[in-house]
Amino acid sequence: MEQLIKLVKTYRLSSGLAERLRLAEAIFRLIEPDLRIFVFSAIRPQAADDVLQEVLISITASLKTFEGSSNEEFWKWCYKIARRRIYDHIRKKASDRLQPMPHDELLDLLDAPAQAAPLTAADRHDLEYALNLLDRSKPECRNYLWQHYVIGFDYGEIAEEQNLNYDNVRMKIGRCLEVAKSLVS
Amino acid sequence: MLGSRQVARFLTMPNKHTDAEAALKKLGHHLRLGWAKKHPVSDKSLESVKNTVREQWEKEQVTERPSKSAPAPAKDKSRKPEGPDMER
Repeated sequence: MEQLIKLVKTYRLSSGLAERLRLAEAIFRLIEPDLRIFVFSAIRPQAADDVLQEVLISITASLKTFEGSSNEEFWKWCYKIARRRIYDHIRKKASDRLQPMPHDELLDLLDAPAQAAPLTAADRHDLEYALNLLDRSKPECRNYLWQHYVIGFDYGEIAEEQNLNYDNVRMKIGRCLEVAKSLVS
Repeated sequence: MLGSRQVARFLTMPNKHTDAEAALKKLGHHLRLGWAKKHPVSDKSLESVKNTVREQWEKEQVTERPSKSAPAPAKDKSRKPEGPDMER
């Protein structure tokens, strides 16, 4: 979906206020849901809304300075800002760090859209399998699998965040997946 | 030999590496849908984004205005002040 980066590029070039507002809203609607789940999966809900707002404001304020040219680069940049804001907050208030999202809460989220369009048996089966993979994993592995597959961070981003090298992260995630699979089957 | 229950389990259990990856990615996708459904975009967040755009735009106008309306400061300090004729 190249729509996002097109909007960002147009925003960078636009000078009129009305046009900028229109573009900022369109960008916001595309990025907010993913950033919301990222922030809410890291911080307690009571504080997460404020942190999410800080993230969105920081991104908006820096949009003009973003120099990338692809969706991937833009998402990477957004998540970098989000991570920084989350760490800033946790540094100030460590008690707001959220433990991994409980199984029931995940099921609740999965059921929300299913009320409008019920899940197929195959989808339900896959989702239960995925939840089992996470549930059976040790906390460190659960975190890696969550970040890489569920949130969508690539190995490089996780490596940067954890101060590890790329191959180390790639192998850790591969091993975690293998272990989770063996525990589930 | 596998029993019928084991066969059924074998047939329904995703057992390839890629199946596990695909299932986790699918989980991410459905969770995002769930978040979007349960927590729709708040007007408060959207409004603060719009305010940021406005503030930034206003700042730019303030910084651009002097350079557009006023001429650059004279480099030659010995130059005489410009009279009304100079604008014509």
